[in-house]
Amino acid sequence: MEREIFGYKCQKCGTLHYPFRMVCKNCRANGYFEFDTVPLPHAGKLLTFTFIHNLPAEFEVARLGLGIVELENGLRVTGQIQIDDPKLGMDVVGAIEVVKRDAYDNRYGFVFRAA
Amino acid sequence: MREVYIIGIGITTFTRLEYPLSEIAAYASMGALKDAGLTDVDYLVVANMGSARINSQSALASAVADTLSLTPAGAVRVENGPASGASAIKEGFMAVASGMHDTVLVAGAERMREVNSLEATDFVATLTHPMAEYIYGVTLPGHAAMFTRLYMEKYGVTERHLAMVGVKNQNNAMLNKDAHLHQPISLEGILDSPEAMTNNPWVAEPIRFFDCCPVSDGGAALILASKEVAEASGRPMIRISGIGQATDTLAVHEREEPTDLMAVRRAAEQAYAMAGIKPKDIDVAELHDAFTILEIVESEEVGFFEKGKGHIALEKGETEIGGKMPINPSGGLKGKGHPVGATGVAQVHEIVMQLRGDAGERQVKGAKNGLACNFGGFGNNVIVSTYTREG
Repeated sequence: MEREIFGYKCQKCGTLHYPFRMVCKNCRANGYFEFDTVPLPHAGKLLTFTFIHNLPAEFEVARLGLGIVELENGLRVTGQIQIDDPKLGMDVVGAIEVVKRDAYDNRYGFVFRAA
Repeated sequence: MREVYIIGIGITTFTRLEYPLSEIAAYASMGALKDAGLTDVDYLVVANMGSARINSQSALASAVADTLSLTPAGAVRVENGPASGASAIKEGFMAVASGMHDTVLVAGAERMREVNSLEATDFVATLTHPMAEYIYGVTLPGHAAMFTRLYMEKYGVTERHLAMVGVKNQNNAMLNKDAHLHQPISLEGILDSPEAMTNNPWVAEPIRFFDCCPVSDGGAALILASKEVAEASGRPMIRISGIGQATDTLAVHEREEPTDLMAVRRAAEQAYAMAGIKPKDIDVAELHDAFTILEIVESEEVGFFEKGKGHIALEKGETEIGGKMPINPSGGLKGKGHPVGATGVAQVHEIVMQLRGDAGERQVKGAKNGLACNFGGFGNNVIVSTYTREG
């Protein structure tokens, strides 16, 4: 199954949001479900990043890359990164993959790699 | 609104405590009651973040009221992430200011070392956005690291500046018998020597072990009272002069300017407006240095230094106990420790000690106005409050 992560576009003023919120942050004039869902682009620029060395339970790696990416449409998202030597501002491309396995389910989200 | 005074303070040692959470809160509370010369209060507000999850105990305030035999006084628990402590103070302040109660016990307590460090890190990480952050493995050190990298790039903050905050605060903690860390550190040991990188490993690049506060158990308590009760108590008159609070987006990536902490700035502006004072009137401050970068940035956002210049003031020694703007004489979260629910209350415990002139070797001379910044989430719920000594 092809998985997507969606942004939420206000039906009143057109502002895009990620993640979901029930009222538009810009115009505050819409309500629940008054957003159009827009698939998020996968390409963007790496704004900042870290490698975490002391992880919460359930992450069975020694070192986990995380970053904030500005996507081509201007929305920003947080995701995991798999990049050996990341640089601020570099071009990245995201895939939607399992980011966490917990007791209930596989959790899917963005994993970014060098473009 | 009525004026509200702090007439009693109490605290436990911040360390690993081998007694139940409700007793940690109660022990600090007994100190505060004794200090105020009271045996009874009208109302209790208990700050705690994690009892239901990490100590298998919910409705903590009922347990604290009963442990102290303060029943049938009303009691409520406040959970507001790492800002729980100051949120409880605000709740107590409103209760007295409104005229509804004359005496309120505000206690904060956390017992985090009941679980291992992985579970403690995960427990704190649950305050992040569930779908957009938490599932990726984002932790608070992770947020602080991504923020630090941006601040380094934009304003020229270096690892040395971060280490300087750690050294200052952990060495201040040497002067505080209740502090968690009683281990002097130096730039040599954590940054410059060949062993430094072994002593001070990465936690989340670019932040290291000595950039992070320890995981602590501990409790702190205050007695808030109306002017009439405060005058009758004969205790020093320390007035809560201003309180401001602001929120920001839950997901950090949604912030318009990623290097701003707008909730700190807005909360501080409200507190100064309420108190009728300016940043230059503050003599001593306790800032929320859960990570060393936060002390630098908060010192700018509360108006002590220009944006992007906090690390310059640090370099010049202005934030040391004898400096122009002493920050975290108690040791801060870095040195004193960070039992999450207790922290906001403990910050004000220190401010009251300082304004009373009771802080001993770490006393800021002649302190009359103090400020505390309790930083919740990664800057998504912040309370700044100011305190003034009268008479």
